[in-house]
Amino acid sequence: MSEAVLNNIKTRRVVREMTDEPVQREQIEAILEAARWAPSGGNLRPNRYIVLEDAETRRLIRLVSPGMFQRAPVLILVCTNWQVAAEHHLPATDRALLIDIGTAGQTMMLAAHALGLASGPVTSFSKEAVKIILNLPETYSPEMFICIGHRAETAGAGMRAWKKISWRDLTHWERFK
Amino acid sequence: MSENWVLKEDEAVELLALLITSARIQLDEPAHYGPLRLLTATERLSGMIRERSSDKSRAFLQENIERVPEMRMAMSDVESYTAALDERCRAVAACLLRHSAQAEGES
Ligand SMILES: Cc1cc2nc3c(=O)[nH]c(=O)nc-3n(C[C@H](O)[C@H](O)[C@H](O)COP(=O)(O)O)c2cc1C
Repeated sequence: MSEAVLNNIKTRRVVREMTDEPVQREQIEAILEAARWAPSGGNLRPNRYIVLEDAETRRLIRLVSPGMFQRAPVLILVCTNWQVAAEHHLPATDRALLIDIGTAGQTMMLAAHALGLASGPVTSFSKEAVKIILNLPETYSPEMFICIGHRAETAGAGMRAWKKISWRDLTHWERFK
Repeated sequence: MSENWVLKEDEAVELLALLITSARIQLDEPAHYGPLRLLTATERLSGMIRERSSDKSRAFLQENIERVPEMRMAMSDVESYTAALDERCRAVAACLLRHSAQAEGES
């Protein structure tokens, strides 16, 4: 059993303050390859990933993303490609589309952590503004940014928990009586 | 009153972008994110004007707004979050009074 994998899962935290040290191209590619191996409903792979390294584009994106506190050297935008959904007659309300974004996002953040990089997801942004800034194709909807970089020493501890929880608090065994 | 210009046009537009996009995303997000967005805007505005502002505001900005990021993430502790915001409200009132006293002195 690999203790390292479990440790990686447990020690990943969202980082909201990053340095401007660049991320190596191979590391970005390794993170994208990890996303390719994330589970996908019906194995349809409706996600598309847009990598943003250009400083001015990243600056503009941050200006329309109130939930993006970090200035990350790399942004990976997870998009849903609605053409794939349409080709497979998947209704727009199919939960698999959202779950796919989640599995890919978490997989990328764990991959980043395994590479010694910091990461953080952002969904608090204006979709309409992001579409304009990136000139996204009609069939793409922007769903979640994964910010990637190096943790700044000054980075805080993150959002405080509403209450202390253990996995037991979140779990129920067997049928409800 | 101070007639100082403290904000550049680019900065003002950036702040507008933050406010408008915050208004939109708030419709889809929990109510308690509202104060968080306003604090983010406060912090950005403060960062933009700090260098160019007069002594009357600078101390307020340095002592009160620079520490906003620490409190932003502590929303779940409602009591101390409320207390920290009340402290800022008192500080901004004192800052307003300093500016107002200057106006009276000038008239
Ligand atoms: C769907 C989703 C959306 C999120 N959006 C944001 C966001 O816009 N900005 C942000 O700073 N964090 C965002 N987060 C990060 C959470 O706040 C974070 O995971 C949570 O506070 C727990 O922290 P941890 O992951 O470090 O344990 C998001 C997380 C998820 C799962």
